[in-house]
Amino acid sequence: MSAAQVATLSPEAVTIEERTPFQIVMTRFKRHRLAMVSMIVMIGIFLVTILAPYIATFEIQELSVNKYFVPWGTVDAETGRVHHMGTDNIGRDYFSRLIYAGRISLTVALLSVLISETIGVIVGAISGFFGGWIDSVLMRFVEFMLTIPQLPLLLIISSMILRDDQLIAIPDPILKFMGNILLLSPRDSRNAVLIVLVLAGFGWLSAAQLMRGTVLSLREQTFVEASRSLGASNFRIITRDMIPNAMAPIIVDASLGLAGYVVAEAALAFLGFGIQDPVPTWGNMLAASQQFMLDRPWLPLVPGLPIFICALAFNYIGDGLRDALDPRLKL
Amino acid sequence: MKNRILLILGLLVSVSMILSACGPAAPAEPVEVVVTQEVIVTEVVEVEREAFTTPHPILSDLKVRQALSYCTNKSDLLASVYPLTSEETRADLVMHTFIPRDHWAYAGDANVTIYAYDPDAGRALLDEAGWTLAEGATFRNNANGDELSLKFTTTSAAFRQTWAAIWEQQMADCGVRIVRLHAPASWWFGDTTGVARRDYELGAFAWVGQADPGGQTLYACDQIPFPNNGWEGQNAMGWCNEAASTNIKLANNTLVKDERIAAYAVTQAEFTKDIPSIPLFNRTETFAYNAGLSGIDPQPGEPYYTYNVSEWTLEGSDTIIMGFTQEPASLFTLVEDAFVAQLAYSLFRPNQSTGLNYDFQAQMVKQLPTIENGGTTNNDVEVAEGAKVVDANGEVVDLAPGVKVKNAAGEEVEFTGGTVVMKQLVSRFDLIDGLTWEDGTPVTEADLELGYKIACDPESGATSFITCDKTAAAEFSANGYVQTWLPGVQDPTYFLPVWPIYPAHQLGDVPAAQWATNPLVAESPLAYGPYKLVEWVKGEKMVFAANEFWPGGAPATPNIVIQIITPESQETLLLGGEIDILDSTSLVGLTETLVAAEGEGKIKTLVNPSATWEHIDISLFIR
Amino acid sequence: MTAYFIRRIFQMIVVLFISAIATYALLNLAPGGPLQGLRQIQQGGRFQITEDDIARIRAQFELDLSLQYRFTRWLVGWPTGPIVLGGTEYFSDVVVGCRKPVESEILNDEGQYETKVTGCKEVVYMKDLVGRRTSRGLLRGDFGLSWRLLRDRPVSDLIVSRLPKTIQLIGLSTLLSLLIGIPLGVYSAVRQYSKFDYFFTSLAFMGSAMPTFFFGIIMILLFSILPKDAGWPYVPAGLSESVRGYTIPLIGEVAAGSVKDRILHLVLPVAVLTLVQIAGWSRFVRASMLEVMRQDYVRTARAKGLSERVVILKHAFRNALIPFITIVVFTLPGLFSGAIITESIFAWPGMGRLYILALGDSDYPVAMAIFFILAVLTVIATLLRDVLYTMVDPRIRLS
Repeated sequence: MSAAQVATLSPEAVTIEERTPFQIVMTRFKRHRLAMVSMIVMIGIFLVTILAPYIATFEIQELSVNKYFVPWGTVDAETGRVHHMGTDNIGRDYFSRLIYAGRISLTVALLSVLISETIGVIVGAISGFFGGWIDSVLMRFVEFMLTIPQLPLLLIISSMILRDDQLIAIPDPILKFMGNILLLSPRDSRNAVLIVLVLAGFGWLSAAQLMRGTVLSLREQTFVEASRSLGASNFRIITRDMIPNAMAPIIVDASLGLAGYVVAEAALAFLGFGIQDPVPTWGNMLAASQQFMLDRPWLPLVPGLPIFICALAFNYIGDGLRDALDPRLKL
Repeated sequence: MKNRILLILGLLVSVSMILSACGPAAPAEPVEVVVTQEVIVTEVVEVEREAFTTPHPILSDLKVRQALSYCTNKSDLLASVYPLTSEETRADLVMHTFIPRDHWAYAGDANVTIYAYDPDAGRALLDEAGWTLAEGATFRNNANGDELSLKFTTTSAAFRQTWAAIWEQQMADCGVRIVRLHAPASWWFGDTTGVARRDYELGAFAWVGQADPGGQTLYACDQIPFPNNGWEGQNAMGWCNEAASTNIKLANNTLVKDERIAAYAVTQAEFTKDIPSIPLFNRTETFAYNAGLSGIDPQPGEPYYTYNVSEWTLEGSDTIIMGFTQEPASLFTLVEDAFVAQLAYSLFRPNQSTGLNYDFQAQMVKQLPTIENGGTTNNDVEVAEGAKVVDANGEVVDLAPGVKVKNAAGEEVEFTGGTVVMKQLVSRFDLIDGLTWEDGTPVTEADLELGYKIACDPESGATSFITCDKTAAAEFSANGYVQTWLPGVQDPTYFLPVWPIYPAHQLGDVPAAQWATNPLVAESPLAYGPYKLVEWVKGEKMVFAANEFWPGGAPATPNIVIQIITPESQETLLLGGEIDILDSTSLVGLTETLVAAEGEGKIKTLVNPSATWEHIDISLFIR
Repeated sequence: MTAYFIRRIFQMIVVLFISAIATYALLNLAPGGPLQGLRQIQQGGRFQITEDDIARIRAQFELDLSLQYRFTRWLVGWPTGPIVLGGTEYFSDVVVGCRKPVESEILNDEGQYETKVTGCKEVVYMKDLVGRRTSRGLLRGDFGLSWRLLRDRPVSDLIVSRLPKTIQLIGLSTLLSLLIGIPLGVYSAVRQYSKFDYFFTSLAFMGSAMPTFFFGIIMILLFSILPKDAGWPYVPAGLSESVRGYTIPLIGEVAAGSVKDRILHLVLPVAVLTLVQIAGWSRFVRASMLEVMRQDYVRTARAKGLSERVVILKHAFRNALIPFITIVVFTLPGLFSGAIITESIFAWPGMGRLYILALGDSDYPVAMAIFFILAVLTVIATLLRDVLYTMVDPRIRLS
């Protein structure tokens, strides 16, 4: 370029357009095609579950003894409604139950992940950063929690609830709120809240240990020393330096965790805990299909595929977010 | 711009979620029925009262119970749990009383009240009882505004989930709200929870039927469990009907079959009139086995289908493999009641009698000594004060003034002193000839005597000593024994062998307290039957080989193996040929895979009506 | 370093002790128990359960003693009776439990009646403990007698009979997962955005999103039942070894219980476990490697002129392994606890199945033994992880 051309260039032409961090993240996220596709798929699934009362053709508890696994697309003789995905062994419409169940399973998984990761990050960061006796106490507590057997705990919670509905006090507003999201009565949503508490209550342990490990390596790095010499308080260092840099494995853990929680809810349904018949969740529909799995090997796919797709989608979104959020990755 | 669109989209999603949360109202909270009681508190802070004396506000009304029965469609319930069984088989399974319809003790359709499926009659009865259906409502209310809502408790097994869902719908059709609670089996059947503490309003489970109908502990008035009697008794419904109670006791304390039939008939008539519990249906015994297996012939009434195991043959193999989904915990059957343990035990120590077709046959004894064939005598004995007798209630007591006993004429009298003439049963049991232990030692009366000694020793760990308590004397001689019962014992199954057979030459000196932990008793007992236990690999298999000393000659198949499997793998293992037999402890009903495999000729299936029956108990009292 | 070790071991003991107490209390609060189902056996002339019978059976299982005495007897096998010093008995009248509790209806705070234990009809004194059967105590290596799974026989028998099979299954699958998963994850990270990466990452995602029991049954159908029907070579569907000999096309005759037989039975369960684990682990390794490869020191190493292979293996890989250590180390307790669902589907006689059975049947001695061993292994695994951290990352200092 000649000197004359340089002189006529406006400042804006030379400098790079300033963008907010959010815009940077979004741009980088969009480059990850699979993540974008997954995001769209998830939005689609969310919409379907939100609109469940309008899309579903049957009620979740409507049953008929004579309809043993009717084929897909059968029309109900009396009312003319279509069983898009056929029925289960007592004539309940699979499709309607599936989309109502999606609401519950997704909400439970999302809330569990949110709560467990939040607690895990906070505990792990504190433990790793401060070290010393705080670290010892917290980590020993984590170990202790890891050694508590979860199944007997679930058994006991289950039996305590059986004896006395009011034993584990959950504030009514929370029950009503959960009930409205899940389209359940406050009584049924108690189970959902308890499941979230139990899953999150055990789930934060791995996140805490992971976070602690990462913080342990990070805290010795020079930029922390630099922050400290600038006079940053511990709180600021933890929130501004540690947590953002440690987010990558946490996000991977969270996305793996989401898939895990949906499957964990299925495992709990297996053992008879959690949300019970007639309220459908993907988990208890999957467990109920196990009886007929040899007869109809494709049957577990019906609730299993949504679990699978959601887990897959969350994984890809997590992957995309990890790439997008990495502070070291330049454009 | 693109970012803005994405932002708006995201906002839309979250707003719609929140809006939907404020959207259509969730189903209304069922109103709980509250019983208000006036409590007058005096100086004592804790107010105690008799438990279970207040009648249930809803269920104590007979009309409500009748309505529940009319609104129940038992064949639909059966169709939901046994969809692949034929309609005729299903129709045979419906029960109207606590005794199956093809049993000799059944009162007959004409003598009991049968509640055929009639929802209109049910609704009319509910209206009469004061539970009315408002316009457009699903569930009924009474004049106070309370909702007709009942709690239904049962286990979380898939079988129960299925029929409970159907029943809930049937009740909703009649305007009754059923709140289902599927509890873990450990809570429902636990020692201090669930049924044992009468912690239910409507409770469903299954009674395992015996060859003899029994029933005394279920329906007699003095068998109602209360806190102050240690919760003894199985009449958890709290049903006390004089006629029924007297007759069920009579049915279990008389030797004359016709008297028993008549007594059972009265009890069944009262049972169906009062409806303390809704009998639903018999379950089925389902068997699936290798198509090349022959000789297996389970019969109703006899739970141990191994009664003819020495006749089983498998084409092209010298080993038959049975699949157990539950491993026997111990082979000391005095202590271990589980069915799988008793079934494994029957392979090498066959039961002394069988109960095929609800009738009794001798197996290890020469004959079942009845009064008719002279093996038993029912003597008149004069009993003085202070002697041990069994009173009119079936309890073992010392004879004293005030005690009610049955005299020799069959009348109930109160003892006032002196003597009374009562009936005493004396039976002679003889072992069959040639019974020998697997090490060659013959089975003698010493083995029976050891059985008596251990079965009656409180340290052995046995669960029930009622037989020992009711025995006056047992004299062992000449490969048999004479059993003398206490005066007053008129047990209808008096002719069944009493004492187990244990190897005296091996275990005669071992103290009873050590028997349960002794591996020679719990893990590798000596055999006198067609097979002997050769090896028990814990968690995997139990291997049996032919016992060369078995008097019946060599069994048709020289080897039997019990393979321990899991419920999830049972069908694949049968179809894969790794096991040959699946019995009803593993199979709940036919599945399409089994039916299809039978069509292809790979396996055979068998469905028999079981003695186990499903019912819904109604708690007539609240605590 | 030694000071750290001593401090950690002391902390471990404290954690284990509290864990034992908490688990014991938890189990005993749970419903069920060794008398589960006893009252549902239909009674008749030859079988009747009375209040005395229940009291007697409860005493046999030490359920009549108070929780603290039961716990100490389980832990150290004491107290077994009054203390005898020089011929005199001390503490023989201390109340240790209640054989027949008194229950009555009490009005509780919410205005409802409930049945509560209000007293004791028959008390158990210390002197009644003499002659009762008891274990020598967990700390002396005696796990006690099983209540329901292997009635009245030692718990250690049960565990020892199941352990080898579990170690076979889990050990083999863990080894294979490590050997295959780590290289796959590293290669995928190094060749990020290549076709291999996309294909393999998708596969891994799918693998970790699949419920195990579904995967297992599909494998059984695909590799066992369907090929057998079609006359092709197949693998056995379950169990750990066969009882009868069988023939597989192309492989020939297999004798029951032979090495060939056992290997064939291992194929499917190990495959299922390995595939699921590879899916999760390789993804983790990949994420970790990607993270590390962006670091400055990797760029420095490349700039120094080191070969790519050395850069990756010597610099990037070692650091990428740090978070992975956490996960791998916790396979140690996994070796003991088995894989519940896989063992159920393949009828594999392992510890996972035993765990579920013990809980379902309320066999407390077995459950406590398993939990305690698992707790010890978990605590050891944590220590191992912390030590390995210091070895692998020199920046981490253990204070």
